[in-house]
Amino acid sequence: MRKADEQGFREFAAANAASLRRTAYLFCGDWHTAEDLMQSSLMKMYMAWKRIKDLDNLIAYARKVLLRTWLDEKRRPWRRAEQRDGELPDTADATVDPDNTSAKLWARELVHTALLQVPPRQRAVLVLRYFEDLSVAEVAVAMGCTEGTVKSQTARGLATLRAIVEKLDSSSGRVAS
Amino acid sequence: MSEQEIREGMLLAVWDEPPLDFDPDVLIKRVEQKKSRRRALVGVGVATAVIAVASFALPGLLPRDGGSQLASEGQATTSAPPSESVEKKAQRIGDKLAEKLALKRTDFKEIYAEFHPGQFTYPPYSTPTTTRRNPSDPDFSGYVYLNDNIGPTALRVTAGRPGFSISNFCVSASYCHESLQKDGSTVFEAEYLEGGSEVARAEVVRRFSSGYVVQISSHNYNPASGQGLRQTVPVRVGVLTELVTEPSITWE
Repeated sequence: MRKADEQGFREFAAANAASLRRTAYLFCGDWHTAEDLMQSSLMKMYMAWKRIKDLDNLIAYARKVLLRTWLDEKRRPWRRAEQRDGELPDTADATVDPDNTSAKLWARELVHTALLQVPPRQRAVLVLRYFEDLSVAEVAVAMGCTEGTVKSQTARGLATLRAIVEKLDSSSGRVAS
Repeated sequence: MSEQEIREGMLLAVWDEPPLDFDPDVLIKRVEQKKSRRRALVGVGVATAVIAVASFALPGLLPRDGGSQLASEGQATTSAPPSESVEKKAQRIGDKLAEKLALKRTDFKEIYAEFHPGQFTYPPYSTPTTTRRNPSDPDFSGYVYLNDNIGPTALRVTAGRPGFSISNFCVSASYCHESLQKDGSTVFEAEYLEGGSEVARAEVVRRFSSGYVVQISSHNYNPASGQGLRQTVPVRVGVLTELVTEPSITWE
């Protein structure tokens, strides 16, 4: 690869690595796996950089690669994660504002417990729509499906997530808003 | 739970993300290593495929003559020489022996040799074998046919590595003599009366240093047929010795 191309990739990777890792974390629910997914995706992009470097929306392409990488990883038998249906340990953070702690723990629980129980493709749609703030058309491109499929997957994903959150709230005594 | 709450929840979920220790140069280095490993693997795969294809295709591409030549070269390393060369050798020696005998004994008529390669023509009154019975059987054996003033008869000739014992050879011989030749071979001559007053059998053996043994015998009957009994042998050891030591005949 030419030096200029390599420098272009270096800049792209450095600028988007954190963002991709966060998306990957919402997909898989584990920071280590998220870092692996992000690095695998960037490696794939580096190998294809000569071909893709001139694309209009490189970050959209990167999200697509990340999603494919995660779905591929999930299909591998040795990558099947354990079922996280047990009680999470209480991890109160003493360094932050106690008023916000409850909300942050609830949000973490939302990801770890509720979002991870949503089927993978529905989860991917929810993350891309509500975390990445992508339009239906952009999500359809990223997922390689029609816009209608994105809409239906979003509706089903939301219903599933709401049901799980309600169940969690009722078991913990929190009132669902 | 509204969409806005889901959005905020997701943002809060990544709020406590661990610090990112990411170096694009390390990633690029890993990719380059992976690429070179893949190239090496492809190289090994291609080389293996080429070798496999060549090993199957090469025998078919070789000319047939070359193949048979290779095959005959392979056989040359074995103890048994090719049967064709033995046939030629037997033919060559037979013709030469008949020619030399005609020169030495001008009173003989219709001299010709008939040798059987790879066979053992057993002594008189037995049927010649068609194949070798054991490894000590000769390369070839047979008869040099002739007609003298008495009638048709023959000399018996055997060549090979049957083993030879001088003590057995000289037992019951009325005459037995051993002489060393210039080439290192030894010639043994013997004549047997076999209870009569005249020589009933004359036999000459030439043993080469390699262990190769040539035996020519003359009998008071036709050894080829077991008939035609006569008073004495048609050829004495002198002529037999000249035949077995004939320089123009390459026995081995």
